[in-house]
Amino acid sequence: MTAQLELRGVTKRFGGVAALSDVSFVVPEGEILGIIGPNGAGKTTLLNCISGIYKPDSGSVEFEGRTISGMAPHRVARLGVGRTFQVVKPFQSMTVRENAAVGALFGSDKARLPPKAAFQRADEVLEMVGLAPKAGQRVGGLTIPDRKRLEVARAVATGPKLLLLDEVMAGLNPVEVDEALDMVRAVHRSGVTIVLIEHVMRVIVGICSRVVVLHFGQLLAEGEPETVLRDDRVIEAYLGQRYARRNRG
Amino acid sequence: MMARLRSRPLALIAVIALVVVLVVPITSLDGAQSAGVPLIANKLWFRLATIMAMFVVIASAWNLIGGLTGYAAFGNVAFFGLGAYAVGILVVKFKVPFFVALAAGAVVPALFAIVIGLPLLRLRGHYFAVASLGVGVAVGELINNTDQLGGSTGLFLPIIADDIVFFYLMVAAAGLTAGVTWLVLRSRLGYGLIAIRENEDAAAVMGVNTTAYKVTAFALSAGLTGLAGGIFAGWNGFVNEENVFAITFNVQMILMALLGGAGTVIGPVIGAIGLQFLIQGLSGGLAIPIPFLSDAVRAVVAQVVLGILLVVTVTFVPRGIVDFFGGTSRLSLAYFRRSLRETSV
Repeated sequence: MTAQLELRGVTKRFGGVAALSDVSFVVPEGEILGIIGPNGAGKTTLLNCISGIYKPDSGSVEFEGRTISGMAPHRVARLGVGRTFQVVKPFQSMTVRENAAVGALFGSDKARLPPKAAFQRADEVLEMVGLAPKAGQRVGGLTIPDRKRLEVARAVATGPKLLLLDEVMAGLNPVEVDEALDMVRAVHRSGVTIVLIEHVMRVIVGICSRVVVLHFGQLLAEGEPETVLRDDRVIEAYLGQRYARRNRG
Repeated sequence: MMARLRSRPLALIAVIALVVVLVVPITSLDGAQSAGVPLIANKLWFRLATIMAMFVVIASAWNLIGGLTGYAAFGNVAFFGLGAYAVGILVVKFKVPFFVALAAGAVVPALFAIVIGLPLLRLRGHYFAVASLGVGVAVGELINNTDQLGGSTGLFLPIIADDIVFFYLMVAAAGLTAGVTWLVLRSRLGYGLIAIRENEDAAAVMGVNTTAYKVTAFALSAGLTGLAGGIFAGWNGFVNEENVFAITFNVQMILMALLGGAGTVIGPVIGAIGLQFLIQGLSGGLAIPIPFLSDAVRAVVAQVVLGILLVVTVTFVPRGIVDFFGGTSRLSLAYFRRSLRETSV
């Protein structure tokens, strides 16, 4: 497996606070990588550094051998990196179908479609995420799980090779999480590498082949989900020293 | 995304009105007059009709950046003024034929929009509004104080053509602007612009080159506004800072687009025509008598009514008048019909 995404010593500061310091890891093509860590660990900042919303202060991000750190977000998207936002950002005045169509109208270079074909592609993607029955609705009337689905649909419609998912399962009930898991698996099967931030451990264990743990902006641990989640340092980061000690003893 | 005129009778009325407006001026030609056709299209008629068409152009052009892209440009009058001055200077100082100069009337403001758009369109929300307003005022003052450009005296153009020519020219510009909007709304550009309006960050990560798209919309808007300015210069025969950089144009074009329905093709057209009728009717331009009101009072009343209208629109029909027809507003006819159907089962 070749490295599709490679981070080398990525550092991002906001004033005096280092949101990310010296983070390096590799994502091989076809993997589902989970990024976990307590609140404020720098997970979303990391996605922002990959998708071009932030420019890292030092270090580099490479996608398919090309340096993408410092590139404008639309250029990163055109290379084939799609993403969703933790706080969903739908195009409010558009219908569900139009939202997805924007992804297909723009998106990665190989997937750019003219308007008519873009709407067909939008319908396919909505079918994949289970939003097809609501295609004609305006976004305003959608429930939270549906909005998260739409966020994924739009990103998938851009035809990405790598998809960054920022907490698409937060706030969903167990049944909805199962549906969302199926959705992510379906996207993965279509040949997309996935990096996802998640707090729901069932998701991490359920679909991730590897996990990266961030803590105060630093890479704390990396490895298979079962191993990493039993790691003392990880337990300590999440639940505090006392719990970790008691757990050991 | 787009409110459309679904009401058939209304569309029919609109088409008939358009045909009448386009045919009436022909009756003013010498041939028709000597054949005894009554003169409807007199000097006043041409003045009103051409101004209405002019506002259709500038309100629709504003709609491209303000309505579709969601960038509240408050300085578009600068493009109108630049277009007028570009034509005026080429005709007066360089003896360029008017119809050739007209091209510069569109190109100069469009280039200017690209130059100022690159830095200004990085600003969002109120900041962009204030900065664009500043540019609008500054350009006018600069020209007013440059003697080579006519200074405070202004420029006097030779008589170029009859009113009827300028009327059709302005109507053609209005048609062009509406046509451009219609095309944009159906193209990749239009979806990109609306995506930017709805959420610029999301648009960017989906691959929309936001800077290029915003600048394109701004330049299109500026070019069309400048075209109207250029036609106005030839028609009016006199160009100075006061009449082509009028700050009231700024306010009126925005009001028209919002009242009619920003982001739609037909909205700004309806808004421009409706508001011009209202302004002219109230302030005496249509020569409709209103009892007990002197002309001075009428001008004030016109302003007050405009203000109230704006408040009512923004509160009850924020998507504009087009939302009355087939729209989502609770005041819309379609909503009324829907609820009637649902309650009368």
